[in-house]
Amino acid sequence: MAERTNWGMNMTEDKRDEAALEAFFDASRSHAPVPDDTFLARLSADAERVDLQTEKTFAAPRMVSPFARFKGLFAASGLSGVAALGLWLGFIMPDIVTNLSPLSEDVTTLSAFLPGSDLSVLSE
Amino acid sequence: MDQPLETDAPDDALVIAFANGDSEAGQVLIGRLAPRLFAYAARVLNDRAEAEDVVQDTMMRLWKMAPDWRQGDAQVSTWAYRVAVNLCTDRLRRRKTRGQVDIDSIAEPEADLQSAVEQITEKDRADALQGALATLPERQRQAVVLRHIEGLSNPDIARIMDIGIEAVESLTARGKRALKDALIGRKDELGYEHDGR
Repeated sequence: MAERTNWGMNMTEDKRDEAALEAFFDASRSHAPVPDDTFLARLSADAERVDLQTEKTFAAPRMVSPFARFKGLFAASGLSGVAALGLWLGFIMPDIVTNLSPLSEDVTTLSAFLPGSDLSVLSE
Repeated sequence: MDQPLETDAPDDALVIAFANGDSEAGQVLIGRLAPRLFAYAARVLNDRAEAEDVVQDTMMRLWKMAPDWRQGDAQVSTWAYRVAVNLCTDRLRRRKTRGQVDIDSIAEPEADLQSAVEQITEKDRADALQGALATLPERQRQAVVLRHIEGLSNPDIARIMDIGIEAVESLTARGKRALKDALIGRKDELGYEHDGR
């Protein structure tokens, strides 16, 4: 490797080139491309906007059950099912209905199912 | 524009704070990351407008994934550089397919680099380096910028570029040799032989 003299020192060509290249890198760091204020303001606006979108995008799904859209259907079918069951029980076992009632056989009201209800007041 | 809020909080804590609705945390992250990402992208792409697009896209991706960020998972800056590097790579490859060439072929080396350094100003040096960077293959260019200008460590660059540390060393070594040749080849264009400084 050729020896050269520079700044009073003996340096190989590779070392000289390495030092020279480092000077170019230093210069590049000193003159780094800088983003302008308009662009930085645009980034800030993006961040503000995404912040709002984030709440919608990520918070909303946590509140919505995958079955939520069917809840009306479940309620309707449950009510219908119970009604059908009651009708069916009434037909096949009519005694179970009359035995539940504390009143006379020809009077049956839902109030019979209320614990501690005083049905005598109704007849007054 | 107001100066970003000064804070000592680590980047990942700021990402989590942002996800929890702290918009000031977002401003601090912009202040920390955007200038570095922009400088990197502008050097690699040699185009300010494209560099802005890359940084804007990178930051948007950070905001969108902020709710899923877990403290200690990764360094935010490494993650952001990785996104920016990939976006730059995509753009450089699109240019290549469109037939765009960054700069003319490199002239044969005619002199040692040190004489160039002694005879041109710092701004000239920065511009000359930028021109020489544009002649490098994209991966060498990215590795050299990350290592020798942005000052990242080889392990960090390996994570960012998704390659091994030895591959990083190889890319930077080849990149530096190519830069040296490019800079020496442009000495007449730079005019440092005639300055007499």
